[in-house]
Amino acid sequence: MRPRSLLLLGAGFTVWAMAFVALYAMLSVGCRFGWDDTALDMAGGLSLQRLQLIAIFLVHLAAGAAVVMLLRRRRGEGFLYPLAYFAAIAALGASVFSFAGVFFLSACQ
Amino acid sequence: MSRETPQDRQGAAAAPPVNPIRLHRELAALWDTPAGWQQLGAVNHTILGKRFILAAFFFFGVGGLLAMLIRVQLATSGTAFVGPEIYGQLFTMHGTVMMFLFAIPMFEGFAIYLLPKLLGARDLAFPRLTAYGFWCYIFGASILLCAMIAGVAPDSGWFMYTPLSSSTYTPGINADVWLLGITFVEISALSAAVEITVSVLKVRAPGMSLARMPIMAWYLLITALMMLFGFPPLILGSILLELERAADLPFFDPTRGGDSLLWQHLFWLFGHPEVYIIFLPAAGAISMMIPTFARHELVGYRAVIVAVIAMAFLSFGLWVHHMFTVGIPHLALAFFSAASGLVAIPTAVQIFAWIATLAAGRPRFDVPMLYLGGFFFIFVVGGLTGVMLAMVPFNWQAHDTHFVVAHLHYVLVGGFVFPMMAATYYWLPHFTGRLAEHRVSKPAFWLIFLGFNLTFFHMHLTGLRGMPRRIDTYPVEARLDWLNLLSSVGSFVMTIGFALFVVDLVVHMRFGRRFRRNPWAARTLEWAMPTPTTSYAFASLPHIEERGDRLAPDAEGARLAAGRGYLGFTRNGWMETLGVDMVGGRPDQLIVLPRQTFLPLWSGLLTAAMVLCLLAKIYWLALFAFLAVVVSLLAWTGATGARQDMGALPIGNGASARPHWETEAPPSWWAMVMTCAAEATLFSSLLFGGLFLWLVAPQWPPARPALPDPLLAGACAVLLVLAAFAGRGGLAALLQQRSPALRLGVCAGAHGGAALLFALMAASVPVPTAHAHNATALVLLSLCGLRAGFGALLAAYGLWRWHAGFLSAARSLDLRIGRVWHDYAAATGLIGISAAFVFAWLATTGGTGS
Repeated sequence: MRPRSLLLLGAGFTVWAMAFVALYAMLSVGCRFGWDDTALDMAGGLSLQRLQLIAIFLVHLAAGAAVVMLLRRRRGEGFLYPLAYFAAIAALGASVFSFAGVFFLSACQ
Repeated sequence: MSRETPQDRQGAAAAPPVNPIRLHRELAALWDTPAGWQQLGAVNHTILGKRFILAAFFFFGVGGLLAMLIRVQLATSGTAFVGPEIYGQLFTMHGTVMMFLFAIPMFEGFAIYLLPKLLGARDLAFPRLTAYGFWCYIFGASILLCAMIAGVAPDSGWFMYTPLSSSTYTPGINADVWLLGITFVEISALSAAVEITVSVLKVRAPGMSLARMPIMAWYLLITALMMLFGFPPLILGSILLELERAADLPFFDPTRGGDSLLWQHLFWLFGHPEVYIIFLPAAGAISMMIPTFARHELVGYRAVIVAVIAMAFLSFGLWVHHMFTVGIPHLALAFFSAASGLVAIPTAVQIFAWIATLAAGRPRFDVPMLYLGGFFFIFVVGGLTGVMLAMVPFNWQAHDTHFVVAHLHYVLVGGFVFPMMAATYYWLPHFTGRLAEHRVSKPAFWLIFLGFNLTFFHMHLTGLRGMPRRIDTYPVEARLDWLNLLSSVGSFVMTIGFALFVVDLVVHMRFGRRFRRNPWAARTLEWAMPTPTTSYAFASLPHIEERGDRLAPDAEGARLAAGRGYLGFTRNGWMETLGVDMVGGRPDQLIVLPRQTFLPLWSGLLTAAMVLCLLAKIYWLALFAFLAVVVSLLAWTGATGARQDMGALPIGNGASARPHWETEAPPSWWAMVMTCAAEATLFSSLLFGGLFLWLVAPQWPPARPALPDPLLAGACAVLLVLAAFAGRGGLAALLQQRSPALRLGVCAGAHGGAALLFALMAASVPVPTAHAHNATALVLLSLCGLRAGFGALLAAYGLWRWHAGFLSAARSLDLRIGRVWHDYAAATGLIGISAAFVFAWLATTGGTGS
């Protein structure tokens, strides 16, 4: 097993951290430029702010799920893969718990 | 581990029998540090680990004394014991000393002392770096201590919030002492982080794969990685604030496009992971002690590793819970609140693993377990109030009150001090070779435990009744007298307990019974050696075939002392240990460590001189001191490497390995990778700062945005890419047994040219003092220039090593280390140039206005 495989241990939580940075940054940018006040008819009246935040969340959720699925295939191999697999599951759960607020909480107040 | 391996049999058949006494004498002659002044040149991990621990304990006493003075002041309403100016210094220094001069160095000391012994190595990867880190710590701490004695200690709180710490409101030297002194101490922390990370990954006993590492090594590895990424934001913040104070660059001044909140973000980006950086090593020690006393291996070894990884990441996602009241949007608060609550889960996983280990085993009671009982109670209370504070509505009510003071003390004293006292009792026999009677230990514990709760439990109540933090007095009408008086009485009870603890240690060291080996019947490797330990730790290195907490140290110790492991001999006057394949633990290199030297002391003294020059605002002299530091660090390299190829050398047990300078990825290569990672974090924090100010700060856009000259920027980018390719070309030429000189010369020249162009671009930034945008551009370009300058130095160094005969196709390490930096400097330089243009463009598109 190559040293690079050590990085797998943090793969799931790296996706979580990227989601965190992206959501926090884009939330601030959206509030700064008033995207919360821009309702989009084609998105059922959702604001541009909420739409972009939901999109970022879902993209990262999909990325986190992909990491879990990739590691699932090798979860029986050696020592690091099962650890990386369970860490990725924990990270996916953490993502849902941390960021689900993008669906219903007020964005810029 | 105790089973005989095929290599053992081969080695036993081939090697002549070793006389353990003679082996000891030969190794001691190499590894021992001579007495007298020569002790100042010590680089040995056992000596330096003890020094770190003793120094940290001294500063614990200093911090404790300051706490006593605080409690005297707050004992009753309207006390005139000290005035508000002195009180400001007292609570600032108490927090600063406890966090930076006690907790982190104490954990570093334990790690430095224990890690090689746990991993089956003779020393850490970079002994001189350990020594340099120690001197930086001592000199930096001395600056803070001297300032306190002179009455000019920092007084803006241990988190130095701006604008209070800015020159307008703190015009004296007080804040500079903190910013420069703490940055100095952080050099020590970062060097320890690199040292620990690389040592755990590379410097282990043969056979010790990652799956077989003792759990403490996992904890220390993850903690060190957290330090690598956690400390740079604070170092950047300190540099920016010092630049604001010294050169009027307005990063935190809202009247000129800066923002005080930027300081809070940078500080807590470090400050909250710091809590876990302090807790995790203590948790590692708990995970070592509980299995020993439960007489059962740690339950959930893998689950604990996953939990620690989760904690490490989550701890970087909750810094804003210190800033819930500053006006951040609710949704963002929800992110940080959720992460703050989530971190309780991996903490609970560890606590349940410890309880399960006790439940599954046959626990026996001893003094360390008493202190661990104290830890369980106090830390769980602190954790519960932590979950309360993670909830935004409650946090708004309790923010900046004594409730928070109570919480943080329950977490930090519960999560660090009690486990460290347990660890002291557990490993003290290892330090001293003596067993304690423990007659005073129990009363000491009860006084500390009861005194602690009497002191801090009542602060929950005073906090809930509205008593703010950091006030030097309160009115009698607030009806807080009795609760505060009880707190003060409790603090004195606790101090008596700590005094008894010290007495107990002294009695132990003076009168404890001597023992032969492993008094707790532990199953980890550090007990497979004579105690007190020898300077070389292991007379020969073990081959590990079991997990690190399933070993038989008694049997193995005798075998290793008889030289029946790896490297059970001496040669060439070398101090040797083994490096292994990072994941699998197969020995892949012979690491030759540097001998005792005064160079780290000189480098530390010169660094101290530089800091003092900055403090005295003699900047031209500081520049000379900086150059002297660089020269002194380069002088370290004189003793490394060889002028001829050696090939694989026997390492015992029929195996062989190349010396580390002839291998693909020795510790020094990994150290450069880790250094780049830390520097990248600092650089990212600066980019974050630039974007944050544009997005949030008032008084934007700037009158004259700092747009770099496109021609200069383009030429600079070309030179950076050229330097990277020339660095790679030099290495390729060397590997093909051709001269790398020309390419290295081009690399040095291109880096030098890029550094010059960066300097020109930085110099052309219009009025950096006028606006935070311009100041950010100046720092951004200067940082990129510094990186390029360092690249030129590394290329020139490679050139010198080539001419001095240290390089060949087999000995290409210096150039490979250089290549990492050349690539990194080019990549980050290009990002820096792009960021300068993006910032200028953003500045022209407007900001938040006034």
